[in-house]
Amino acid sequence: MPSWFSKVFKGGAAAPKPIEKKAPAPVARARPTAPKPPEENEKPKRTVVHAPILPDESLSASEGGDKIRIKARIEPDQQSCVILVDRPVLDGFSVWIPTAESKADSPLAEKLFEVDGVTSVLVHNFTITVNRSPLVKGDWESMIKDLGGRIREHLESEATVVSDSFLADLPNSEIIEAKLDTVIKTEINPGIAAHSGAISLSRVEGNTVYIEMMGGCQGCAASDITLRQGIHQAFREAVPQIGAILDTTDHTAGTNPYFTELPVGM
Amino acid sequence: MPRLDTFDIKLTTGDTPLQGPLKFIINGFPLEFENVSGGTGAGETFEATGAPGSFPHSLLVHGPEEGDWEVKEFSVTYHPAGEEPYSIRFGAVTVDSASDLNIWSDRPLPVMNV
Repeated sequence: MPSWFSKVFKGGAAAPKPIEKKAPAPVARARPTAPKPPEENEKPKRTVVHAPILPDESLSASEGGDKIRIKARIEPDQQSCVILVDRPVLDGFSVWIPTAESKADSPLAEKLFEVDGVTSVLVHNFTITVNRSPLVKGDWESMIKDLGGRIREHLESEATVVSDSFLADLPNSEIIEAKLDTVIKTEINPGIAAHSGAISLSRVEGNTVYIEMMGGCQGCAASDITLRQGIHQAFREAVPQIGAILDTTDHTAGTNPYFTELPVGM
Repeated sequence: MPRLDTFDIKLTTGDTPLQGPLKFIINGFPLEFENVSGGTGAGETFEATGAPGSFPHSLLVHGPEEGDWEVKEFSVTYHPAGEEPYSIRFGAVTVDSASDLNIWSDRPLPVMNV
């Protein structure tokens, strides 16, 4: 017995009626409009306030003793792992070791690069972020235990985290700020202006950079890709010694996240 | 993001109370709480269940129409469809008459001891 599909589409019992072509209806432009000035009696838009999320007490419980406590969290992309230490690993600045070739800048990173699959290391404040090659399969558990053991051993030995030559070459924050400001104005913002986005430099602390994303970038699902693949690369080419680059944007804040309306003047 | 079947909220008000019944807003739609006990007077604890049965792009508690509301702390236990429930604790915040309070948080990433 022929199926309904063959009946309808292969000259079966009922041939399909020809579809009458109509002129396409005019399509409403999806482009958002600039906000109108508030009219009288119009209710003002409500904003959203965020309460701070408190730490999970079961994780912060002290185990006692002087043993360095280390926790690890695998990021959703499964390619990086944030290792959190209960004391500052680096204070006042951060260090980014992008390849095993540059591991001489950090004796700690040098030990971590001995673990198979490690591709880059970022040390910032209490955290050490380790990226691994996408070719490494399987779970992180054994790798994390190895990395954690090496970090604990290194910190307990009170060996230095970064080399003296790295510290000697570190430009001061004013120089970093000036160079990055130029990169933002001449490369990054002209590039993302097509998406009505923009970034600004919030501050530079030591060699740690804080940025804020605005316009079409605030709340955009692709903002993390823009940050990692565009902004990071441009910043590090301009100033190779910069460490962590942190996005301080609250991507859910304000009355216009996810770009429902064009900002005034755009 | 899984569908959020229900959530349980336990909220303690600080010194500045909230007048009127508490409502929650899922993706812009206001809904009533169920199984309500306690209140939002100064120092009181409000407990209730919300049943949005939807995907929470935003989940809020409606703020005060007039004046401020001091929230001392609150915790929310989320019951996503087909997944284990999880709880988040939030700290103190003041909500004014032009604001609503966010009560949504994604499931925290698992953390392991090393």
